[in-house]
Amino acid sequence: MDPVLRRRLEKRFGERLTGPIRQRHDETEIRVGAGDVIEVMRALHDEPEFGFQLLADLAGVDTGEVMQVVYHLWSATTPDWLRVVADGLSREDPRVPSVTFLWKGAEWMEREAYDMFGITFEGNRDLRRIYMPPDYQSFPLRKDFYLPDDAARSPGAGVRHMEQTHAPRNATPAATVRRAGS
Amino acid sequence: MSKRDRESGAVPDEAASSAIAVRGGSALVEPIVVPNTLWRSTDPTAYQGGLDSDITHLAALEHDPELRRDNARWTGPLEVIPTKADYVLDLIRMNSLWPLLSGLACCAIEMMSAATSRNDMDRWGMFPFRASPRQADVLIVAGTLTTKMAGPLVRLWEQMPEPKWCVAMGDCTCSGGRYKRSYSTVEGIDRVMPVDVYVPGCPPRPEGLIYGMMKLQQLVKDRRGHWPERSIGPTVPDGV
Amino acid sequence: MTQTIPRHQSADDPRVELDEKIGVFEPIPPYPPRTEREAEFYTLGDGEMFINMGPQHPSTHGVLRVVLKLDGEKVVDLDPVLGYLHRGVEKLCENADYHQAIAYLDPLEYVSSLFCEWPGVMAFEKLLDVEVPRRAEYIRVLSTELNRIASHALFMGWMALDLGGLTPILWSFIERDEIVDMLASLTGQRMLFNYFRIGGVNGDLNHEFLSRLGDWMGRATTQIESNLTLLNENEIFVRRMRGLGKIDSATALRMCMTGPNLRATGIPFDVRRAHPYSVFPELDFDIPTRDEGDCLARYLLRIDEIKQSLRIIDQCLNQMPDGPVMAKLPRLLRPRPGRAYAGIEGPRGQYAAYVISDGTDQPFRMRIHDPSFIHLQSVGVMMPGNLIADTMAVMASLDPTKGGVDK
Repeated sequence: MDPVLRRRLEKRFGERLTGPIRQRHDETEIRVGAGDVIEVMRALHDEPEFGFQLLADLAGVDTGEVMQVVYHLWSATTPDWLRVVADGLSREDPRVPSVTFLWKGAEWMEREAYDMFGITFEGNRDLRRIYMPPDYQSFPLRKDFYLPDDAARSPGAGVRHMEQTHAPRNATPAATVRRAGS
Repeated sequence: MSKRDRESGAVPDEAASSAIAVRGGSALVEPIVVPNTLWRSTDPTAYQGGLDSDITHLAALEHDPELRRDNARWTGPLEVIPTKADYVLDLIRMNSLWPLLSGLACCAIEMMSAATSRNDMDRWGMFPFRASPRQADVLIVAGTLTTKMAGPLVRLWEQMPEPKWCVAMGDCTCSGGRYKRSYSTVEGIDRVMPVDVYVPGCPPRPEGLIYGMMKLQQLVKDRRGHWPERSIGPTVPDGV
Repeated sequence: MTQTIPRHQSADDPRVELDEKIGVFEPIPPYPPRTEREAEFYTLGDGEMFINMGPQHPSTHGVLRVVLKLDGEKVVDLDPVLGYLHRGVEKLCENADYHQAIAYLDPLEYVSSLFCEWPGVMAFEKLLDVEVPRRAEYIRVLSTELNRIASHALFMGWMALDLGGLTPILWSFIERDEIVDMLASLTGQRMLFNYFRIGGVNGDLNHEFLSRLGDWMGRATTQIESNLTLLNENEIFVRRMRGLGKIDSATALRMCMTGPNLRATGIPFDVRRAHPYSVFPELDFDIPTRDEGDCLARYLLRIDEIKQSLRIIDQCLNQMPDGPVMAKLPRLLRPRPGRAYAGIEGPRGQYAAYVISDGTDQPFRMRIHDPSFIHLQSVGVMMPGNLIADTMAVMASLDPTKGGVDK
């Protein structure tokens, strides 16, 4: 809960924020639109009054209505974690500029967000799947992921219930359950 | 390019098809490329994907004699009458089972703990963890098997020469464990390879793994090891 | 001149129908490159070749596949392929209770399980606005510092194992087994402890744990010193590691490194001091830092950290307050809708959890930030110009745990 940081952020980015600055416990959260990400990140990284040199985390979030990309930053100038939420990405084609020009270490974090959500990071030189096999068709952490057919074929694939439609295939109670002694 | 591509007419152009472009002229001799005739998967359905499941729990297996198969695949009488030399060979095999380093996840740490000083697997002859599957006897699968790793693991299993055994260590390899509901794990390695000993636990204590290995030794000694006709591939029976 | 690569069918590459089933195994994917980096990587220069360090290899870091581009024996570039242990923990946590989610967090960094549970539990406590009793905090610090020593002891063993030395790993495992048996008497489990609860810890310190701990503390320093003389004064070890995998502090920050890997480059960033949590403001310890940024610096730094951890454990035992070990909470937990982030200093770096709650009893989004995942990216920065045998040394010095890398 750092009021100094809050004032600085409001002064610097006032018109870019898409929501109020929220502070709780030891976190400060600002929300920006996808187009402002580069400016905001560069300002936070380069300007000495902010000095957010360390990118602590880059995560994708699927809220069910929109997608978001959440960045957590740390600076020696403030006792708070700063959370930057790039809000308002569409669920059909989420696109965000990449921050790999500032932090090369964000490359894999963005790959992971792409792999799990399908968020395209424009400017990431290596946006391919990182966890799932390269021919995998779905994005597992999306809220609508429970589809059966597009899971990759592999020697062990096929019968997990998360990859099935709601009713087990070809299942009728009489066929599945055999009572002892019958 | 393969014949099928040429026939079907869908020949991609060179730049797209070859993922490698060698820049500059190379003064090196053309490499000798030996086609791989060393091994093939004996099971034609391996790598083709798992079998469809009609039942959702395995209790039905217990009651149906056709569906039931012994996990060690001792089906039917053995075709060869064992001689004294075979018994001695089995004793020898049992006392020097060399595991393959196939530690995938957390259980690998307990496997290493079982192999190091405090719980010493070397007492049973199992210390040399071979790096190459060609030299190993036992595949101790320790850790969660994911769908991405399933292919390489099955390939490792097929590369191991007979006689070979498989130990499923840990809950994740026995049945999927705490990751049973996940989209990317294989629920138990017996979906993709035949298993001889299941060592449950999350992770099993090193003493537990050693107990499992002792059971394996008993299996080797008393049940005459395995034969080459044993099918390699999923042991979940047809129709399951 | 373009080579036609014999196509092969590999289980983790897109299936292409071929008439010859299995050809020569090559590490190149049989589809055209999809990204800039892939195109750049999979283009061979003059005299270069690819070698695949497959998912199963004798280095004990788990299932990691690295495609090396070699010029003779020098590594020109490398491309790690992850995902062989991806278990979908984040998705599973979304479908589980808050209490159940703690158990899913353990196997992420399985050698340092308590550190994995801690940020998740802290984030839940922030969402519930729960005050953790001081005794519980001290027990948390005590058990995690023990776990840190065990993890660093294992690091030492694996570092030597990857360089070819087979003895130190045996000694490391003796250390680790002692500590882990102590923690088993405290938590009930040797490895995936599942000890932390929302609002405290599962059980209080018991007599067996304290007597074992006191016993061990008495001989810990000398034991660790004697283990270390095996390696620190070994000329082969030191000469191989000195100067290898050098990274400077600006690059380390750009690669988002944290933990001992960052401190070995000269930046004294330790979450326990930079962003204090739990009872660390009351404890007195130093942050070891080194300047060189090479493998030897990272190794020696972790040894220094073991000594600091012993100091912390000592203070915890002396200053342990009385009181409950768990806050009173209802059984059905419904935190306020909101977001919480909690970061701690694990043995590999900053370990963090970001939890979004929607007011129900299941987390809406459970994001785990793992340092091993970030650090593996820097292998590509450190490696070029070194020999193949040094790849494993560099990777071992970053101390990755595959469970965390792949979640």
